[in-house]
Amino acid sequence: MAECVKVCTQNFGKGAQDIEVYKKLGGYSNISERLFNMSQFELIDYVQRSNLRGRGGAGFPTGMKWSFVPRGTGKPVYIVVNADEGEGGTFKDHFLMLEDPHRLIEGLIIAAWALGSRAAYIYCRGEFLPCIEALNKALNQAYAAGYLGENICGTKFSFDIFVHRGAGAYICGEETALINSLEGQKGQPRLKPPFPAVCGAWKSPTCVNNVETIMSLPWILSHDPSEYAKMGTPRAGGTKVFCISGDVKNPGVYEAPLGTPMMTMINDYAGGVVGGKLKAVLPGGSSCAPLTAEEAAVATMDYECLASMKTMFGSGAMIIINDTHNMADLLNCLGNFYSHESCGQCTPCREGTGLLHRILNQMVAGNGHDGDVELMQSLSSGFGGVTICPLSISLGGPVSSYTAKFRADFDEYIAKNPEHAKPRIQENYRPGIFW
Amino acid sequence: MREHITGAVQFVSNNHLKFDRPAQPIDALPDPGQKFGYVNKPVPQPPTAEVLAKLNTPEIKERCADLLSRYPVGQAALLEVLWLVQGVFGWVPREGIRWAANVCGCAPAHALGVATFYTMYNHAPKGKFLLQFCRNISCTIKGAPSLIAYVEHALNIKTGETTPDGLFTILQVECLGSCGNGPMMLVNDDFATDADGDVLTMKPGTKLTTDSIDRILKWCYAHENNIPKHDVLGGTVKGHCGHPGAPGAIAKPQVADYAPPSPVLNVKSEADETGATLTWKGAPEFTKIVVEKKNGDDWVAVGEPGVKDKAFVDPNGKVGDEYRMIATSGERVAKPSAVAVTKQKPAPEQKAV
Repeated sequence: MAECVKVCTQNFGKGAQDIEVYKKLGGYSNISERLFNMSQFELIDYVQRSNLRGRGGAGFPTGMKWSFVPRGTGKPVYIVVNADEGEGGTFKDHFLMLEDPHRLIEGLIIAAWALGSRAAYIYCRGEFLPCIEALNKALNQAYAAGYLGENICGTKFSFDIFVHRGAGAYICGEETALINSLEGQKGQPRLKPPFPAVCGAWKSPTCVNNVETIMSLPWILSHDPSEYAKMGTPRAGGTKVFCISGDVKNPGVYEAPLGTPMMTMINDYAGGVVGGKLKAVLPGGSSCAPLTAEEAAVATMDYECLASMKTMFGSGAMIIINDTHNMADLLNCLGNFYSHESCGQCTPCREGTGLLHRILNQMVAGNGHDGDVELMQSLSSGFGGVTICPLSISLGGPVSSYTAKFRADFDEYIAKNPEHAKPRIQENYRPGIFW
Repeated sequence: MREHITGAVQFVSNNHLKFDRPAQPIDALPDPGQKFGYVNKPVPQPPTAEVLAKLNTPEIKERCADLLSRYPVGQAALLEVLWLVQGVFGWVPREGIRWAANVCGCAPAHALGVATFYTMYNHAPKGKFLLQFCRNISCTIKGAPSLIAYVEHALNIKTGETTPDGLFTILQVECLGSCGNGPMMLVNDDFATDADGDVLTMKPGTKLTTDSIDRILKWCYAHENNIPKHDVLGGTVKGHCGHPGAPGAIAKPQVADYAPPSPVLNVKSEADETGATLTWKGAPEFTKIVVEKKNGDDWVAVGEPGVKDKAFVDPNGKVGDEYRMIATSGERVAKPSAVAVTKQKPAPEQKAV
């Protein structure tokens, strides 16, 4: 494994939570030296040339997203950082904020200058109280050092950052649900259009970015954008923070260039599969389709290759599964998760995820019936394009792909029921949010 | 329609769903919310005066003012103010939700909707140590179900329950965002894979095992009386300018005087030679009503009609007298109703013979 340039994780384990240490490691030099010599358009062009794509899951080019934000509307522009990291298998933002909070603040100042923003909100999920504490401590230090507040570094530019603690709703990771939650409402996604870039928080232009996206900015600004673009693939520049979990020797957070082969990630970075042979890999968090061991052997970790394999890159959260696990068990986990986290707005999602969850629960408990798999496939095929947000597809996609690729696991469970040939009668059906 | 809602569903293999079971009363069904630690049944609420005394302190008022100054509208601070309430009580009592709504200037019903939408607000008291176990996919791969069963056995309670001594509550939650250390648990607000002497730790490359859970439980017993406290909002930030035009930046938040609005409406008073007759409409929930009459600058109680009475007669009432009503609902005393000025009672109409 070649030594890789570290963009986001270079300060890990160096005590960079303290501003003095962070400054010694080169932090805040962008703000004091070059940021205010650039115009907003130069800066956006700079980010566009770096080929930086959003790291939250959708992978939308960041510079392009910024260029959509209208100017001169008379309304304030808000930057919202999406730190509501809840997807199963994803834990990079947790450690990024814990280890290097000042890099996020520096990145936010850069983004604020590019967008002409006066205030930013970091929406951090409620479980990450240690991260919120680290951020607040860093914010206090940054205010005291004059990097935030009024007239930053003697310029006329003023900027504030506020941390907003969420309260435990996975759906708030969707950007419009996050904005609703920031406004003090239930975290239910909004219909689009209008997109947040035009009409977001408090009906003002709002730019929602992932933590890692913002934390890549200081490095890009202090180096040449082409240098960043060179590290990745032709269509997506830079390095990516991968989080590897599951049946590997050393699970954890690893930074590697985009386009690294999947087996290099598993064997060289994470120390190889333990407890059995490789059975499946989820390359982009819990909501993506799994790759079998044969597919994983030829896959590379980038947006295009994984899309061509009918799965997705997502947030770069690899979950490694060995052959001691039954995929029906894991799908049951996902059924639990997504039916619990459905916000309840759209009927196909609210009822559909619950039905899938109940069928899976019964199957795993030994009450599976013939035709259950077909029933689940039929249910999940009705999810696409009929809901406001993609939460239902996050369960529907895995249901169709797990059952297609690992059908034997499901049949094994169904065969455990001595009466599996009889039709299914479900007792105590009770709709509502508590499935 | 109700039959459709509570009837059982039948799955037939060719994908037809049929509702063919007789309806069951909803209370007869097991409470599925228990699984997630929610309580669907009414929870005993602390007295209003106690809730308000704990919330209307100078420190909390200052925090609220700071929170309100961050956002362009007051409602945006609702989640954070609810966190402050949970920080005081360990859960959010209904009266605390009303208080938060009052601080943020939104409807109490909206605040209740928000407080019940998010899973981290507790609507019933929990144990001193809230143990939340992740059961999502990465942790399940690494053996979370067997660990949860181990803890349930060790504490002799099920998920969602509290031990009889009030020390531990076990919850199963979705991804805690620490899959690399899976299986993972939260002890109150701390991520923990082990307890090392006096502190809970989450070192890279460690994970929960039955042994480390034993050490964590031992740590909990040792710290029963000095639980490390975190600020619910992770501390305060000094030096920010606030949001231009925020409600907190212009005026201090209205946290000082808090009484629920009067449930008594439309008080009418009409007088004839037998005295003044008062009639009113109101919400059905109040338990006691006091009628007051204006005497100079003071209000004097003149009577206490029964809750189910339709009218109240003051024999000394004259045209021009002013009356108001104060309703009490359990412990809560509402604001007085609008003042009713006594009018002349119209003479009964003579029916034509």
